Amino acid sequence: MSDARFVNQRMVGSSVIPDEAIPLVEGDGRFLNDIKLPGMYHVAFLRSQHAHARLIAVDASEARKLPGVIKVLTGQELLGKVDPFRSMPNRFSGGESIQHWLAVDKVRFCGEAICAVVAEDRATAEDAVDLIKVDYDPLPAVTDPRLGELDGAPLVHEACANNYLIKREYERGNVDEIFRDAHTVVKRKFKIGRKQALCLEGRGCVAGYRENTFTLTVWMSHQLPYVVRHYLAKHLRMAETDVRVIIPHTGGGFGQKASIYPEEFVCAHLALTLRRPVKWVEDRIENMVASTHARDQTIELELAADKDGHILAISSDIWVDVGAYSTYLWSAGMEPLQTAGLMPGPYRIGAMRYRTRGVATNKTPVGPYRAVGRPSASASLELLIDEMARKLKLDPVEVRLRNLISEEAMPYRSANNLVHDNVNYIPCLKLSVLKSDYDRQRAEQREALASGKLRGIGVACFAELTGLGTSTAVGPGTLLQPGRDAATLRLETSGVLTIAAALPSQGQRIMTAMRQVASDELGIKLEDITSITNDTATAPYGFGTFASRTAVFGSGAVIMAARELRKRLLAMAAFLLKVPVEDLTIVNSVIQTVDRSRSISLRDMAEKSYFSAKDIPQELNQGFEVTSFYDPKFGSFAAGAHVVVVDVDPKTGHVEIVRYVATEDVGTVINPAVVEGQIVGGIAQGIGEALLEELVYDDAGQPRTVTLADYLIPSALEIPRIELHHANTPSAALGGFKGCGEGSIIGALGAVACAISDALSRKGGDIHSFPATPERVLKGLGVLPGDA
Amino acid sequence: MAREQQIKLTVNGRSYEKTVPARLSLADFLRDHLHLTGTHLGCEHGVCGACTISMNGRSARSCLALAVQADGAEIVTIEGLRAEDGTRHPMQQLFLENFALQCGYCTPGFLITAIELLRDNPKPTEHEVREAISGNLCRCSGYQAIVDAILAASRLELA
Ligand code: FES
Ligand code: FES
Repeated sequence: MSDARFVNQRMVGSSVIPDEAIPLVEGDGRFLNDIKLPGMYHVAFLRSQHAHARLIAVDASEARKLPGVIKVLTGQELLGKVDPFRSMPNRFSGGESIQHWLAVDKVRFCGEAICAVVAEDRATAEDAVDLIKVDYDPLPAVTDPRLGELDGAPLVHEACANNYLIKREYERGNVDEIFRDAHTVVKRKFKIGRKQALCLEGRGCVAGYRENTFTLTVWMSHQLPYVVRHYLAKHLRMAETDVRVIIPHTGGGFGQKASIYPEEFVCAHLALTLRRPVKWVEDRIENMVASTHARDQTIELELAADKDGHILAISSDIWVDVGAYSTYLWSAGMEPLQTAGLMPGPYRIGAMRYRTRGVATNKTPVGPYRAVGRPSASASLELLIDEMARKLKLDPVEVRLRNLISEEAMPYRSANNLVHDNVNYIPCLKLSVLKSDYDRQRAEQREALASGKLRGIGVACFAELTGLGTSTAVGPGTLLQPGRDAATLRLETSGVLTIAAALPSQGQRIMTAMRQVASDELGIKLEDITSITNDTATAPYGFGTFASRTAVFGSGAVIMAARELRKRLLAMAAFLLKVPVEDLTIVNSVIQTVDRSRSISLRDMAEKSYFSAKDIPQELNQGFEVTSFYDPKFGSFAAGAHVVVVDVDPKTGHVEIVRYVATEDVGTVINPAVVEGQIVGGIAQGIGEALLEELVYDDAGQPRTVTLADYLIPSALEIPRIELHHANTPSAALGGFKGCGEGSIIGALGAVACAISDALSRKGGDIHSFPATPERVLKGLGVLPGDA
Repeated sequence: MAREQQIKLTVNGRSYEKTVPARLSLADFLRDHLHLTGTHLGCEHGVCGACTISMNGRSARSCLALAVQADGAEIVTIEGLRAEDGTRHPMQQLFLENFALQCGYCTPGFLITAIELLRDNPKPTEHEVREAISGNLCRCSGYQAIVDAILAASRLELA
């Protein structure tokens, strides 16, 4: 057998300890704020205090006089020199928003940048910010999308009638007719609050200037180095080759660092004009108001079913408060279009209709955050399925089993036109039911209720489209189809293999994953493989890390490049060893004949072919460097089913999670421990969404949650132990991989929401608005007045 | 303009004498003046715990303290956890082996807190571990692997 994998222990599927974590655990990480360049200036921003106001005058004369202040830059000064952000064209656009990097004429949300101050040090820059006087003429603020869309409401942008940044209607099947004839119709309202990705490290950049090559080098805490490079060059009107983007260690991304924001672009402009490096690091208050928000939706959902609980059609009406600008690159369509379009989830739903809108308000723009749109789509449908189950006196598990897309029915095209294949929806649910001992949970629930305790059980199933190829737009309605990425494999002169790809990691250990995949393909020992993923000067073109795509794309490109590289390595070895190529295999970084009589190490072969190539034919010695692009064309569905048990304290409204069982199908697993970390981490964020996290604004558009003391994310005490199981089935992508970064947050919101609703329903209550804060729970129980 | 003051202190076993502005935070002093950038800032508000260091044997939030308050103090940061020969502290090793970090931004604070916990309570229950680290926020891990790493460390003492 000449298959290396037959001899080697397979790396794919092993919990290899990631080398890339070593500096982080030793205090040797290099995060953005750790970077210092000689002669570096520091930048601070003056931000709007008003949600909506005309800028009458900006007087920076006092600030400019402060010793140590180098420059105060205003929006007026930038006009005509750089190109502002115009919303990405979207087929479903309501109107265009234009975002100046520093506000001109008008401010549209609290926290919008008005001036940039450059100083010798950060403290001086901040002192100078306080000395700038701004004369505002306040305008009425739009803070509620249901009011903002009415005729005569104040406009955030003149070009957006009724404040629509996005609007779409869709229908598949004769929905009216189905509803009219259906045995059962249930309806429900669902509200999800405004969220923050809350990366523990905020955004930031160091923009360096030098003469000649790479005039502009930008270190940025970001997920998409090449995208940043492309747009920096475009907006600063430079050649791309003059711009280099490097991503240092990054303290969380979750989509918040996948958009393009004004601050980093202002810094790049300042570095170029001052011809000095400048640094800006977001502080927490800035992060809360100037980095994108997420969710903030109201959904009215209806479902038609037959007498056995088979779903026949769904119809939804969706309002998303998308904030003041169309988030650059992705447009304002992310939440409104994905929530609506992905509503059917893992269920066999043949007809659907929706009306969805993204309404501009005077709040921080809404952008991508882990699992965009799907958590609320899924939770609203799961809650409604439970309501139908109650009405038809069916068990929530049974009704789901009747509606999930079965393996036999695949490939199955859903009413949203997505094709489900190679995905284990029903096995996931069955395993979670088994592992949670669901029937016993129900029995214990009855006992608990009988003894006056309020216990609820939630079951949620989800589908998560991962690793999207070029046939699916990640930004719906836009032309953005980031469906291909590249990896370069290079055997260095030392015989070490380097993998380069523009797929930065925020803890997903993509470097280790790609090394594992390459090791299996090439028979090279893991310790002889290194990886670099964060620098446009060394990585081939790639779109970056987001949308649960990185492992799929990185691994796929590595497999393709490895197959070509393997051919070249074996051909060279055959020449040097004077044996037929068919006799050769690679084991533990050595190329040898199957009978092991002849061999050459990769190190020796590299040295020879790079340094002593006199006798080697040129055609054979074309360098051991291969770049391959991988496009899976379509996406792969990952799946899961979560079962959650909660106890609700009817006096305080406090919710405690007492049991959490999750089963997921994430395809072929590369590194099980890493995958588990992704899933458990996603569940924790979903629990935060369900119970704690909410950005609050007052009616004037003033943010009320600007610190970590106001915006609560879960601590170790709110997160229970997660029992995780797998019902994996390989995808059609190369290697059988699926993405695993986002699915779990979807399941968590739905399962926890259903569990709370289940508990409250035992006392005749219910809850429609999340997070389920104690106050809302008490309202849901009728203890406090008001709607929940 | 800023008033300055002289301080003397020990950090990771080395003594320093420095003149610092009165308004300089201890975190900024460690990061910018001593170049010990392993201590991270997540909120500068005393909530997230990323900046946790050990000061005179107790964990402390270096974002809330001023450098001048550390005059005479003995401080340990993440850079001081490894043995002189470079061997990782068992807690560092177990964080690594248990996959207890993803982005790693919160890790320095958790390590300091965890080491203090096991010093004061060598055999904590899972709940005691969760309680002890509840002042440190991690956005990536969901805490489970961190809890497991600390529990593994508590078992290690037995051997
Ligand atoms: S930075 Fe000190 S507690 Fe957050
Ligand atoms: S590992 Fe990222 S915040 Fe903890």
